[in-house]
Formats: sequence, structure tokens, C-alpha cells
Amino acid sequence: MTAKAPMNLRRLLIGSAVFRLALILYGEWQDAHMEVRYTDVDYLVFSDAASLMASGSSPYKRTTYRYSPLLAFLLLPNSVLHRSWGKFIFSASDLLVGYFIYKILKQRKVAEDLCLYSVMVWLLNPFTFTIGTRGNCEPIVCAMILWILICLMNGKIIQAAVWYGLVVHFRIYPIIYSLPIILVLNPRYIQLGNGMEASTRYNLWTAAKSMFSKERVLFGLVSGGIFFLCTGLFFHLYQWEFLNEALLYHLTRADPRHNFSVYFYHIYLQYGRQLSLVEKLISFLPQSIVQLVLISTFAQDLPFCFFLQTVAFVAFNKVITAQYFVWFFCLLPLILPWSDMKLKWEGLGCVGLWMGAQLHWLLWGYLLEFKGQNVFLQLWMASLVFLLANASVMAVFIRLQRFSPIFLQIKVSDSKSGVKSQ
Amino acid sequence: MRIIGWICWRWKMGIIWKFFFCCCFIVVTLSIYGDCLSLEDCILKSYFSKNEVLTDSSFQDLLQDELSKFSCKLLPGDPNPQLTLSGLERRLIGEGSHRHLSSTIQLQVPPQSFPLQSCKLVMIERLPSGVFADPFELDHLFHHGAYAGIGVFGDTNLELPSVSSNRSAVEIHMNFEHSISSGAMSELGIRIDLPLHARYAPLHESGYSEVAFGTPDLLVSCSMEGSSGMRSCLIVPSHDSNRLRTDVVWKIPCGIMSHTNVVSVVTFATAFVSTLVIVFASVLYPKPR
Repeated sequence: MTAKAPMNLRRLLIGSAVFRLALILYGEWQDAHMEVRYTDVDYLVFSDAASLMASGSSPYKRTTYRYSPLLAFLLLPNSVLHRSWGKFIFSASDLLVGYFIYKILKQRKVAEDLCLYSVMVWLLNPFTFTIGTRGNCEPIVCAMILWILICLMNGKIIQAAVWYGLVVHFRIYPIIYSLPIILVLNPRYIQLGNGMEASTRYNLWTAAKSMFSKERVLFGLVSGGIFFLCTGLFFHLYQWEFLNEALLYHLTRADPRHNFSVYFYHIYLQYGRQLSLVEKLISFLPQSIVQLVLISTFAQDLPFCFFLQTVAFVAFNKVITAQYFVWFFCLLPLILPWSDMKLKWEGLGCVGLWMGAQLHWLLWGYLLEFKGQNVFLQLWMASLVFLLANASVMAVFIRLQRFSPIFLQIKVSDSKSGVKSQ
Repeated sequence: MRIIGWICWRWKMGIIWKFFFCCCFIVVTLSIYGDCLSLEDCILKSYFSKNEVLTDSSFQDLLQDELSKFSCKLLPGDPNPQLTLSGLERRLIGEGSHRHLSSTIQLQVPPQSFPLQSCKLVMIERLPSGVFADPFELDHLFHHGAYAGIGVFGDTNLELPSVSSNRSAVEIHMNFEHSISSGAMSELGIRIDLPLHARYAPLHESGYSEVAFGTPDLLVSCSMEGSSGMRSCLIVPSHDSNRLRTDVVWKIPCGIMSHTNVVSVVTFATAFVSTLVIVFASVLYPKPR
């Protein structure tokens, strides 16, 4: 690392911070002077919920508040200090994600310039800087996911487990990362304490010991404990309202209104009808198969596995809104240094295909919602194209990615080191 | 340029009104959403405190009760103060799922001086199932101008399709300026714009569902000197139905039942093809040993 390099990252972070501050200030002006708000409707929901919490009421008295009470707690200063407090927190998390990307890539011995370009992919992405400054809370989730990766890479399993339990409580979808994390906590790659001796004999006993290793059991118990502690605490405070709005709603959500998901029109046409068990299973299968195949193939390259899983999870979900994209945007910079994808024309082709499919959908969505034309069939076909575009982009990424596990296998002579990360 | 008339809600009891007469359109503003002004609470608040669901017949019954309870007659035998609704024109402005229902109201007030003070217009819009008003949007609009008052009651769930939702209603109170002119009939014109949104409609083979708006309930609420001090009272303006143009129909695009089988089959087929693309790419991935 040269003396100049930290200055470049510092300049990048400072410049990004100033830009985000300007956007927040602009957002305040637009909200005050124009009929169309800059601020996301969800931010007003968070703020109202925080005000209710500040006055001693349940945040769930605010309709459409479907998040953990922790979020409302985080935004309590909205009522006391300034209504933009939350936007500052989210934008700060957004900058933290940039810093964590740099930290992870440096730890994986990526060259300095490549680290900075990867950080720019996140910090200079228009989607990224608008999402935090408009008051969307996803940057916090992204920062937590990346911190979990850093903890795992440094062998801090308990800390990783605590944050993992917390992030699953906060946003549920990271539950899809549980299996790859458990798989990567293989005693051959990561061991707590003095570790176990490598053995050439492989029998049921060694297999069981390996499957239920100290690291895996600890991670499972701690993360599960944190999750149930949070759930139990908030259930005690807010009863079924909390459980229904913050947890069960997300698990059973099937929105018939138009969104990017291929399932929206099917759900609308079937709305009110009781689906058979076969129909429910069929809608569940593609997501399950894809997740299992990706995990079994790529778990050792944890960032790449997370990225693919997240893209697939979003693409095959029953509801897709634009804010979900940030879940994998924060992971994309972590995999780029190991991609053989050239910007021309594979990279631009993927961007063009994905953005083009999205814009195509948005065109039909505009005609339906703002012009009142019956284009349900065309909009649904656009969602099919979007799903196929997602699958194609994933296939290109897979084909051009160099497999790079985050841990190397521990040699017998290194058993005292505990962890050897790549 | 659209003139937006809104209604203000006041928080405290004892509204003081002036009854202004003018021949021009008046901009009125919407005040704090969610609470009702004095008139012993809003009519809709009274209604929904006793009823879970909005039905026209039970609402009419309550309205008659309110009118007889809060009559503007000084003595039981006195005639009601005369107010005439000389014109009501309704239009749906905009396209798509988000539109404004514009109501232009013309009131005629006789030249005799009233014992009534501080009158305001009360408009109750009983929305048909299939459309809803967003309370948070109305609250935001309130904070952007000076409004008298507005309240949304009933099923205000923004997300449900119309088959799973109940009706809602909006009560709008409007202040207006007046200048008393003696000897001549005074004409008052008020325009109210109410932003509305379409719910997902039930399936129909034509591809469109029609939502028809009824006539709003228009009342005038005033303060008058009673035997035990100032009290609020209600008047229903008389009107000639022929002069009221209230037919408003909103055509909302909806799903077509005959698409069901094709959509289901092709949706799941596409999901499986996408699954196969990803699975094959993963299986063929050359993982180093």
C-alpha cells in the first residue's frame, strides 16, 4: 500500500459524503417546494413510527410500518433533532459499505487500483446514492452483511453470529445466507482454538464431528439465540402486531399489484382463490432449486455465493420492488476483481440487457398506471423477459468468474493458527 | 390553472365562521388531517364510531338524525334558513390510476341577514368501492397550504384490491370569504379537488371495470345564538336536480379471466426455464480442485 492510496480512498469517501449531504439538502428543498417529494414514502412511515415510539405508543399503530422496532428506535432523533436524522444515518451506512468493500478486497490481496474501482462501483452508482438520501434503510442491511463477511474472514465467529442474528431479525431475507455460512465454517478451513487434528480416516464419526463442528454449532446457537431474543423481546412489547407486521407479512406476502415479479399477474388472476398444495409447491420450487444448487456449488467463494443467491432470490421472489436491487449491488464490487468479464462487450452487454429489460417493464407499467391502458398481458410478458434477463446475466457471471474461496484448507502444521483466510 | 379548494379542520371547539358571498371561485385549504372540527365531531366520525362498514342507507339515517339534532331553526316552528345549491358540476381529471375528482359548487344565499354566523360548506364524499383516498397524501397537501379540514374514514388500506376492501368516505370542510351585499341574491362558487387512487378491480372480460361516483352530500354548517349560548347547526341547501351534473364514471383497467390458464402455465414454464439456465451454468462451472 503506497502513501498515496489511503488518500484516494479518503478523497473518494469524503467526496461521496459531500455529494450525499448535498442530495439530502436538495431533498429537503424539493419536499418543501414541489408537489412531488424527493423523500421516499417509506421514510415518512419510519418517521411516523419513530414519533409513535417516542410518545410511548407502538410503532405498528402507523399503517404500513412493517419493520423491526429497532428501525423506529434508530430514528427517534427524527422527532427530537431533525426529521433528516434518518437520512444521515442511512447515507453514513452507505459510505460504510464503501469502506467495508475496500477492507474486504484489501484483505483478499486485491491491487489498490482495483479496490478503488470496485468501491466506485458502489459509491458512484446512482441507485446507491439516491436510495440512502431518499430515506431508504437498505444501506444499513448491506453494511451489516459486509461486516459479517469481514468477521468471518477474520475468524470472529461469535461476532459474525451476533450480527447475523440481528440482520435476519431486521430484514429476514439474509436467512438465505445461513447454509453457505455453515458450509464455509468447515473445520478444514476455519477452526477455533487449537483446532482438530487432520485425519486421513473418514468415517461416520469424523463426518458427524465435521458436520457439527464447534464453529458451526456456535454460529447456529448464537445467531439463533440473538434472533429469538429480539423476536421474544419485541413480541413481549408489541404482541401480535409486531409478529404480523414485521415477520409474518413478509413470509406470506403475495401482492396482486403490478411489480417486476413474474408472478404478479398470476397472483392477481388467482386472487381470492384458494391455491392447491401442488400450485403452492410449484411456485416454491424454482427458488428452492436455484438456491440449493448455487449454495452447493459456490459456498466456499462466499461473496460470490451471496451475490448469486441474492440476485436469484430477488428474481424468483413473488414481489420485486426496486429497493431490493441494492441487496446485490453491495455485493457486486466484492466479486469483480475475480471476474474475467471484459467491459466491452460482456460487461456492457449484461448491463444493457438487465437495464433494458427493466426499462421495457417500466414502459408498460407507465402505460398501465399513468395512462390507464389495459396492458396487463404486455406488462406480464415484460416481467418474463426481466426474469430471463436476470437468469442470463447470472449465467454469464458464473461462466466468467474465477473460483476464489475465502479460506484455504488448513494444513496440519498450521493447526494452531485457527484460520487461514485467502 | 387549477384552483384547489380544500377544507380546513380546526382542532378546538367553537368554530367562528363568517359567511362570505362572492361571485368568484375561492381557494380553500385543507387543515390537519385526521381530526374533526366542532360540530360535535364530524358526521363521518360519528358514523364510523357506530358502524364498521359504510352503507348508503345507514349513512342517510344518521344524516337525518344529525340534521334534526342540529337544526338551524331558532324556534321549532320557524322555517329553515334558505340556501340554494344552484349548481354542482363534477369531473374526473387526469389519466390512469391516480386522478382528481373535481367538484364545482355554486350556492345562492338570499339577501336577508341571517342569525347565522361563521358558516362553512361540508362535503361528504362516499367513495365507491374501487377507489380510495390516501390519508397521508392529503395530510401532505394540507401542510402545503391553508386548509380548513379533511378526514378519511372507513377502509383506508392502500394495498388491498377492491374485492378485499370496504368502502371509505371523505369529509371535507371548507371556509370561504364573504362580503355581505344587501338587496341582492349572493352567489358563492367553490371548487374542491380530491386526489383519488384506483384499487385493483375485479376481473372482467372487457378488460375494464367501471366505477361510478354518486352525488356528494352537501351541507352548510353554521354557528348560531341559542338559548344556552352559541351552538352549531346544519342546513341542507335545496337544489334542482336538473341543474346538477354529477355523473362521473372511472374506467379502471382490470385483469381478464380468460388469461388465467395461459398466464399460470407460461409463468411457471418461464420460471423453470430460468431455473434450468442457472442450474446448467452452475453444473458446468469448472471448479478447480
